[in-house]
Amino acid sequence: MRPAARVSRRTLLRAAAAGATALTAGCSGGTRSVQVAVVWSTSELDRFREVVAGYPAQVQVISAGNDIDAFLRARHLAGTSPDVAILPRPGLVTEYAQRGWLSPVRPSTDYAVRVELSDLLMTESERYGVWVKAAHKSLVWHLPSMLPAPPTTWDELLQRTRELAARARRDGGPVPLAIGAADGWVLTDWFENVLADMAPDSYYALAQQGADWQDKPVRDALDRLAGLWSIDGAFVGGGRRALLTQYEESVIQVVHARRAVMLLGADFTADVVRPFQRGPEAPVTFRFPGAQPGGGPLIVGGDAAVAFADAQGGVELVEWLARADSFQPWLRQGGYLSPNTNVSITSYTDGVGKQLATEMRAPGTLRFDLSDQLRGAFTGSDGVGIWRIMQGFFADVTDGVPASEAIRRATGLLAAAARSVGGGR
Amino acid sequence: MSQVRVLGELAVLDDVGPARRGRAYPAAGATSALLLPAAVLLGGLVLWPVLRTMHASVTTDGRWVGAAHFRTALAAPGTGAVVGRTVLWALLVPAVVTALGYLLAAASRRSQEGGLVRLILLVPVALPLVVTGVTFRLMYDPDPSRGLATLVATRLTGRPVEDAPQLLGPGMVTVALMSAFVWAWVGLAVLVFRSALDAVPPSLADAVRAYGGTRRHVLWDAQWRPLLLRTTAVVFALVAVGTSRTFDLILVMTPGSVRDEASVLALRIWQTSGGTTTTGDGAALGVVWLVAVIGGIMVAALFVRQAWPPPRVEAAPEPAPLAPPRRVFRLLAAGAAIAWLVPLAVLVATSAHGRVDAAARGWWSAPPNGESYRDLVTGTELWRTLGFTLLLATAVTATVLVVALLAAYPLAWLTGPAAQATGLLLLAASVVPIQVIAGPVNEVLGLVLSSGTAQGLALVHIALGVPFAVLVLRNAFADLPVEQVRDARLGGRRWWHTLRRLARHNLSAVVAVSVLEFVQVWNDLVVGRLFGGPGSSPLGPFLAEQTRSFVSNSGALAASSVLASVLPVVLVVLSRRHLVAGLVSGGVR
Repeated sequence: MRPAARVSRRTLLRAAAAGATALTAGCSGGTRSVQVAVVWSTSELDRFREVVAGYPAQVQVISAGNDIDAFLRARHLAGTSPDVAILPRPGLVTEYAQRGWLSPVRPSTDYAVRVELSDLLMTESERYGVWVKAAHKSLVWHLPSMLPAPPTTWDELLQRTRELAARARRDGGPVPLAIGAADGWVLTDWFENVLADMAPDSYYALAQQGADWQDKPVRDALDRLAGLWSIDGAFVGGGRRALLTQYEESVIQVVHARRAVMLLGADFTADVVRPFQRGPEAPVTFRFPGAQPGGGPLIVGGDAAVAFADAQGGVELVEWLARADSFQPWLRQGGYLSPNTNVSITSYTDGVGKQLATEMRAPGTLRFDLSDQLRGAFTGSDGVGIWRIMQGFFADVTDGVPASEAIRRATGLLAAAARSVGGGR
Repeated sequence: MSQVRVLGELAVLDDVGPARRGRAYPAAGATSALLLPAAVLLGGLVLWPVLRTMHASVTTDGRWVGAAHFRTALAAPGTGAVVGRTVLWALLVPAVVTALGYLLAAASRRSQEGGLVRLILLVPVALPLVVTGVTFRLMYDPDPSRGLATLVATRLTGRPVEDAPQLLGPGMVTVALMSAFVWAWVGLAVLVFRSALDAVPPSLADAVRAYGGTRRHVLWDAQWRPLLLRTTAVVFALVAVGTSRTFDLILVMTPGSVRDEASVLALRIWQTSGGTTTTGDGAALGVVWLVAVIGGIMVAALFVRQAWPPPRVEAAPEPAPLAPPRRVFRLLAAGAAIAWLVPLAVLVATSAHGRVDAAARGWWSAPPNGESYRDLVTGTELWRTLGFTLLLATAVTATVLVVALLAAYPLAWLTGPAAQATGLLLLAASVVPIQVIAGPVNEVLGLVLSSGTAQGLALVHIALGVPFAVLVLRNAFADLPVEQVRDARLGGRRWWHTLRRLARHNLSAVVAVSVLEFVQVWNDLVVGRLFGGPGSSPLGPFLAEQTRSFVSNSGALAASSVLASVLPVVLVVLSRRHLVAGLVSGGVR
């Protein structure tokens, strides 16, 4: 960086552009508050604003929408990066840290998250971010009246699915599963749950560069999925229809239309459930079943706060957000799961929150969402990366393609995608 | 031009005649400075980004790599299909739109209900393409209890409800997208064909008949050869270039799982470059696309290099009322009007349902209510977005108009090859797809400290809008009758007095440019998506964002779509005469 040269060039260009830009007013002047860019919108954004209202200094929260990465890169180019950002993917934290965009942070001992999570935000033994929000992604939602005895192992789930599918084919009752396969992340969540249960040790290795996606753990996990997904009549309207069903519609199929019994979801599924609940019966959850009864895999997603280099008051705000009591306003409102194990279970106001927070602390296999750790385009978005590959696999196995052939295709594509992003972006 | 009168004015159409841009008014030295704002904008935000993209397509980190990026990009799995689909879009859709446009224009002439038919066809033209996408996704909903088209197709094919045909499924998605596009664009073709048909004097047809010509001869000699050939070429080219806008439709209409099956170059470049970064492969695809689009518009421009349609020599005497088209044609026009109304009705009907009703049942199976509208108008988000978009579109339109008027004035006095060259350059600049140059444009915005801000967004809109506006206004200035120009120059003491007087004579062109620019910005998705930011999120991205959960939001989405469409529809319908007159005075030349 040659700040002097840079500034003079900028000043010149700014002067040149002033004529054009002056025509469109809207410059935000005034005193400088700490600026935070977040992915949240609507109600989550309001909750977060309540949280930072407790911060001693003025905080300006801006919602960058879903593509916060593109937003931050554009801002960086423009030299107008915010002071703090809350990122939905740990891959972005390490990527920005390696580029030298971030300041290291040193939260107090009040901040305690499980080591499986905290390690993801470390680069060259420096911590560049703190977890501020967690998502529990190993929940199966259902209405208790439609599934009185939830399955506790994978084999039971398989068995129950077969029975329900047979009954649905016979007399048109509800089918066993709803799945929003139009949204690729739904399918990667399925895959991650199965993979974390079957091969917890090789799980994180897949996020590393040079990982072998054609190796046995991936093939086994896909094989287990194929066993369930290929059951005739497992999904509402069949596999082709499921691929056109978005996640929120699949929730409606379970809680409102009652055309399906079970749905793999997350804690935030509750937000979708609320407006569509019919009658007094509220849907409940059971833990995604593993091979052994009791405590299957636990897949966790989450958001991490980072402070940008040269930011004013950014590091202080991030360290404040890491404290156990900062998010109390959001905790009281519900719909918030803390990654911080120092937040007491009793501060959760609802039963579900208490239960999920307890599960997050229980010993066992906790893994962070794998697709959120993948690099570049492999991480997936609509029509791209692992999302697209899992949709292709889903289409194959629900369409009668033999499992071995579908697995061969999918692992070939996964390996190719991993190779093409191997060198970084 | 005396020999012209013998057979009627039409005889001059294929004759070049005296150059209308050949007036010897030398540009005063001072007026050349008026080009500066337009030149800076186009140079910085169009020309340099194009060159930068070309550079990126043949280099890696500044090192020359030849055609390596082109090879990688074209060899990537699925690229062949993407290119093929893009070509299919650029050939099939314009052919259908042109044919339908001509048929409906002919069928809706000279009849009482014809005006109404054309009005109905015009409404989709003004809608944001995002709204068109929402409308057709509602119709094609894979669940026959919600999607009207799926229900009809299920009944027609006699299939059980569980096995309903999937119009948005991988096999049909491109057809579904094309149908939405045709719906949106036919009105424009009808408008253009209608003004072309009106320009054909009936005396010519009479002459052909007098020589014993049949109906076929009339069509061929009195319509096709003098005028329609050229008009068809113009419409075809316009629509072909317009198909690069399919991006908006694909983003809104396709669920993630079929996006690959619907993908065209525009989407592939977006996915390869991740929006606003410049990658070698993305740049290579972009260059391919750019060459195709500019090549296409150049061929069309050279094909129709003469004025289209001709300037009216004088107000022709109203011909004796002619017989309206045959009954079968009139029925065709009426049928088309009804068919074109159905999607609009579906959108409005869906908007008249609350969140749960719209998501769980068809709009025909629940009584309408105002729940979705009530939620929207009592919230703040829609109002904020509408307000911001209004401000943005107004500011951009005013700036574009000023910049373009200033630039058009000196350019109008150019003659000969210089005039043709600027015309072609402006035409090329006006069709550069923003996705291709997004990365470099963002770098420029970064330098002027306005990336991700409202100012940056406005700057990009202005730069993209200026070339077309300059083109139309330049041609309008150049087409002014000699007397008006002389008056203005004698009456105006300074150049700006002259400019103001001339602008007043060119009211139609000014109105056309303003309305088109305003509607363009109001209806935009891509620019807003690429260059908007927090606090500067316009309508297009606001609506498109909600389609991420389409079914569960369909009530609110339909209601906001309706509210978002009111202003552009009213503007276009009210100014339709000016639009045609203004564009006819030289949109494409």
